[in-house]
Amino acid sequence: MQTVIQLTLTSLQIGAVYILFSLGLTLIFGVMRIVNFAHGHLFAVSALLVAVMLSWLAGMGIPILPAYLLAVLAGVTASAALGFIIYVFGFKYFQRDMVGSFILSIGLVLLLDGIFLEIFGGGVRAVPEILPGSVEILGASVTQQRLFLCGMAVVITAALYWALTYTKLGKALRAVSIDHEAAMLQGVPYSRLALAGFMIAAVLAALAGALIAPISIVTPVIGADYLIKGFIAVIIGGLGSIPGAILGALFVAVIETVGSFYLDPTSATITIFVLVIVVLQVRPKGLMGHG
Amino acid sequence: MSGLRTLKMATLGVAMGMMGSIAGAQETIKLGLSVPLSGGGAVWGRGSVFMCERAVKEINEAGGVTVDGQAYNFECVAYDNKYNAADGTKVAQTLLNREGIKFIGGSLGTAPVKAMQSLTERQGVLLFTTAWGFTVKGPKFPLTFTQMNTPFEILPNLIPFIAEQHPDAKTLAMLNPNDASGQDTEEVARKVWQDTGIELLSSDFYERGTTEFQPIAARLAALNPDIIDLGGSPPADAGAVFRELAAIGWDGVKVVEVGTGADGIKATGGDAVEGVYMGAAVSFVGDEVTDHQKEVNEEARAEIGESLNAIHIGFYDSIYALKAAMEAADSIEPKEVAAVMPGVTFRTFYGSEIGFYGEETYGTVQQMRLPVIITQIQDGELVELGRVDPDGK
Repeated sequence: MQTVIQLTLTSLQIGAVYILFSLGLTLIFGVMRIVNFAHGHLFAVSALLVAVMLSWLAGMGIPILPAYLLAVLAGVTASAALGFIIYVFGFKYFQRDMVGSFILSIGLVLLLDGIFLEIFGGGVRAVPEILPGSVEILGASVTQQRLFLCGMAVVITAALYWALTYTKLGKALRAVSIDHEAAMLQGVPYSRLALAGFMIAAVLAALAGALIAPISIVTPVIGADYLIKGFIAVIIGGLGSIPGAILGALFVAVIETVGSFYLDPTSATITIFVLVIVVLQVRPKGLMGHG
Repeated sequence: MSGLRTLKMATLGVAMGMMGSIAGAQETIKLGLSVPLSGGGAVWGRGSVFMCERAVKEINEAGGVTVDGQAYNFECVAYDNKYNAADGTKVAQTLLNREGIKFIGGSLGTAPVKAMQSLTERQGVLLFTTAWGFTVKGPKFPLTFTQMNTPFEILPNLIPFIAEQHPDAKTLAMLNPNDASGQDTEEVARKVWQDTGIELLSSDFYERGTTEFQPIAARLAALNPDIIDLGGSPPADAGAVFRELAAIGWDGVKVVEVGTGADGIKATGGDAVEGVYMGAAVSFVGDEVTDHQKEVNEEARAEIGESLNAIHIGFYDSIYALKAAMEAADSIEPKEVAAVMPGVTFRTFYGSEIGFYGEETYGTVQQMRLPVIITQIQDGELVELGRVDPDGK
């Protein structure tokens, strides 16, 4: 029983990051009908800045928690700024153009890889523990840091869901996602909404990066691993579907956890890819269909 | 008219001056490096470039390499192989075909080294490597030399030492990266651990580049082994695994066979890496550490943020070995230099005069005769527990 609880908690903890990551990917696809392979770099720049700023602020004698919050603010701001730049100078001109946006995002990946390596170096950045200690949940041990991450993921996901359901902006984003031409005929300003959707996705990636930094391996390539898992999650759940992204992220996390535990890490990775093939064969538009 | 003649004379003077300067300049021999400069292994790659450049600086300042009466300078040319075969192949082609390099001063990572070696042996380029395994060494590869201790040298000394320190430890779980480096390490480690009588509960592999180690740690902890050996895992990965293991509550004997130092592993592992045994780290604390070693190590810490380790040092020693062999062969032809390499001696960064050995193990003399240093992290610091000088042929 304890094993089941431990595996469930592990799945939820890993799934929390995948959810935050996939929500951004699926939102961009839903509104703009593009796939953004540079999404991992928005995540990475936030994690890297949290690592750099936290060391710098802690070195100035600022207590660890306020220093972390300031570092998160810096990371999210930098990520949002990067998102704005790549939208205004890049994706704005390739909306609803899968091939063009694909080529652009691959180019951006190479460019940003080089820039990050030049600025941050290739080495691992140490991030101190922000919330030390563990708690016992039904006999299974969970670190407070990961528990905080899970809590934040639930809050952010719920806030996004609420915003998309009840706010004017959310309703407009959903309308554009369903039929952008019909939405525009109703007076919805598509260009502004596309920017809003892209920026929300950038902030989601930034928050995920900032939250994962204290418990992961922070390097300029940190986004690559999460990008693959995030894409798998949205493909399984259904590109453009918010519930699909959540379901897909949890699905990937469960397979990864249970597979690694009962088989081995390599078999778990293979299993994830096999299941993607199976899902696409049975439901080509993903479990929840395209959003 | 007079002005034009003056200009012509001045131009001629400058041109003659430049020609004189060119005639007096030493020619440069480029030394290629194929190393990871990004990802989990970046700290190894960056330190390796630093040590290559340090050795080159020392040699050039001392007059360079003298071959057939001509003095040559060295220059390090490094590219990022990202620790994988695909990028290693690109780096190999760039170094050999674009840069025209004839000597590889060092290459890191078995998969990229295999990519490199497939070209170097065919194109007559001399290759120094940190990679291990019979697949990259032996009589089939006369131009390949190994610049650091590999599991074949480290593990027969490290593992019995650990077993002796922990006589109550009866069970073991192993984890390695799922690539050629990890598989080669696992193969040797499995045999040596079994020779000590310790029961192997599991031996798993993970994808290099993994950032989420919690499921892996959950599996390892569930087996409840007395010893967890992370073999050839990079420091950042090893630290992350031990941190997750500590969070779950596992506390046993921790080993990273090719562990290279305290800084990298502490960056992700924090306090959870206390007590980790390593076989490729070097301690710079103690009376026997020379001023030169301390000075270079301090420079390295400022440059790469980590103390030097056996991998980094291999990129210093290989440059001095190349200098010694070029001067002994009185040639800069790679095949002629390789032919004399097994017989040369040079002063290693560790302080002693060393040569090459390995005929008993590999069938050819191509392994640097380096000391095996056993270290452990104690109170957050790297402590040397023992040093073994090899005596094999």
